[in-house]
Formats: sequence, structure tokens, C-alpha cells
Amino acid sequence: MYECEATADLLLMTPQAKTSPAPESRETSIEAVLVKAVLEGDREGFGRLHDLYAPLVHGILLSRVPRAEVDDLVQDIFLHAFKKLHTLRDWGAFGPWIAMIARNRAMDFHRRHRETVEVTEDLRSSDTSINKATEILELITGLPAAYHETLILRLVEGMTGPEIATRTGLTPASVRVNLHRGMKLLREKLSFKENT
Amino acid sequence: MKDDYLWDKSGEPDPEVQQLEEILGTLRYQPRPLEIPDDLIVQRRRNYFPLLAIAATFVIALLAAGLWYRAASQKSAAPLEAQVEQPAPAPTVQQRPEDKTLATENHGPSPLPRVPPRKTQPANSVAFNGKRHNRASAPVLTAAQEKEAEEAKAQLLMALRVASEKLNLVQRKTQGAGGPNQIRNQHKIG
Repeated sequence: MYECEATADLLLMTPQAKTSPAPESRETSIEAVLVKAVLEGDREGFGRLHDLYAPLVHGILLSRVPRAEVDDLVQDIFLHAFKKLHTLRDWGAFGPWIAMIARNRAMDFHRRHRETVEVTEDLRSSDTSINKATEILELITGLPAAYHETLILRLVEGMTGPEIATRTGLTPASVRVNLHRGMKLLREKLSFKENT
Repeated sequence: MKDDYLWDKSGEPDPEVQQLEEILGTLRYQPRPLEIPDDLIVQRRRNYFPLLAIAATFVIALLAAGLWYRAASQKSAAPLEAQVEQPAPAPTVQQRPEDKTLATENHGPSPLPRVPPRKTQPANSVAFNGKRHNRASAPVLTAAQEKEAEEAKAQLLMALRVASEKLNLVQRKTQGAGGPNQIRNQHKIG
């Protein structure tokens, strides 16, 4: 178990090798073009970047902060990214860059709003489908940190494995391992819950 | 095959994964337009290359000017070193013919020999190392010049002796002692 987690952590932290052929290099080039346009004053270009990467940021936040806070944080993160876009050196690496901003912002949120989190977690929706989804989401977030982000991006945001790899900057192999091991652990938890 | 569906949604669908997708899909991101405030301006990356280029050019120009100034000062200092004045020869006393006759025949007051004014070294006669050259070496004279100098010296001594005798005589006359110099006589006697 521990060995599995360690391997998964290692894989999660393995960035995509630059020498490996980029399967979606066309998208990368689109990112670079958009970032360049925004830096030259095209504000609408940043709107397109937001449309492309908002699901990624939403998924990352959903695995770390309460659901009620996610939408506002997504807006804050993109506004922060807009202000700091000139600090991005590799324009094609917009995805990994904004993913890192989202992770850091989630950590800041927990430092500042620890008490508020407990209150908002108790707020339940009357919608049963939402309640069920929230329960499963809690199960996923209870998984080791190496897996829950990838699983949420796959199951909640509907992204494929290659998309997750490209947008987060991880290698496809590490995303694949994280997906399969995370899914296996989630199945075990779900079956255990159904049996009880 | 089921693994492929989890990976890229290809192949045979996994019913359990599909069910999870349906349930969790309710939490999916709902697109919202991003509202960027008008006063929020994206900063441009600062390009320091022109500033660096200007600074480097300025530094290089300063260095070149410094080197040029040093080379120029060395060039101007080199002739000074070469033009260090030779030490002036010792003043020679040349008695004029009229003075010689006065000293030997008339026993009159002989004028003092004219000594040419000593040449002072110019202020710019400083060597490059900042040390002042103050060499007082003996003048190089030929044999004829040495002989002439010896004669002039003898004549000068003679003139001084004559002048001294005349001054003694005047002193005796003014003191009213017309006789011989008693002191000298006493001295002679003693």
C-alpha cells in the first residue's frame, strides 16, 4: 500500500519530458499564440484561455477545497493569472502554470479559512443527485493525494487521460497509473460502503 | 478493454465508470464568462536588453577613453624624460680685461665678478616617476678651460687681497693712526 502510494507520488511529480513527442502539440501552440496575443493587449484571448482551462482549475480546486468556494476561487485564480501572465516564460506551458497556481491557492485557502470550511461542509443540498455526488466526491478526496486530482479530472470534468497529461504537464504514463490505481481504491471503498 | 475506456473513453465502456461519470457529472464546471475589470491591465514583460546594451556601451566607452587618456599622457611624458636638462656648468668667472688692469695696476676697488644667474629648473622638468632630477655633477671641462679657470681663480684671490689691503688702509686713516699697524706689529713680534 505504502509502496503503491510512493510510486504514485513519484509518478505524479514526473513532468512531461521535453524530448517525448507531444501528442497535442497543436493545442500547445494554440496556448502560446493566445498568451502572446494577451501580452500584446488582446483581452479576448484570455477569455479563450479561460474557456480552455477553467475545467482543469475547477477540478483541481474541487479535490482540495469545499465545493461552495470553488467557483469564486476559479475566477480569482484566472484574474491573478491575467495580472501575472508576463511572468510566464514558456508560453506553451500555460496549463501546468495555472494548475500550480490553483494548487497554491487551495493551500492558501486552507490556511486562512479553516473554520469556515467546517461550516460550509455541513451545508447540504436538497437535491439527492447532488448529495450522492458529494458523498462520492468525499470518498475520492479521501484517497491518497496522488490519485484524487486525476480521478476528479477524469470522472467529474470528463477529461480523457491524454488531456489530463497535456494540460497538467504530467507524463501520460503517470496519469495512467494514477487513474488505474485510484479507480481500484475507489471501487474498494464503494463496495465497502455498499456492504455496510 | 475496460482500462481503455477509463484512459481515453475508447473501447468497451465500463458500466461502473459510466455510472460514476453520470453521478459526478452534476458537479462539473458550469461555464461562466470571465469578467476582467477594465482597470486590470496585463503587465508586459520587462525587456532589459536595451538597457543592458546602453550600459555596456557606456562602460566600454569609458574604458576606451581611460585607455586613450593614459596612452596620451604617456606620450606627452616621454619627451619630458628625454629633455631633462643637463646640469648647468659651474659658473665660471671671467674677468674682463679692464677689471684685470684695475686689479693689478691701480689697486682700486675691483668689481665683483659677475655670476650668471642660476637657472632654475622648470616645473615641468619632473620625470615620469614623479621624482625631481637634481643631479649636481661636476661640469666636464677641457684642459684649456681648466687652466683658464685656475687663472681666473688666482686673479680673483689677488683682487680680493688687494681690496682687503685697501680697506685696512682706509680703516687706519679714519682711526687716526698713521703709523704702522700695531696689532700687526705685535702679532709679528709675538
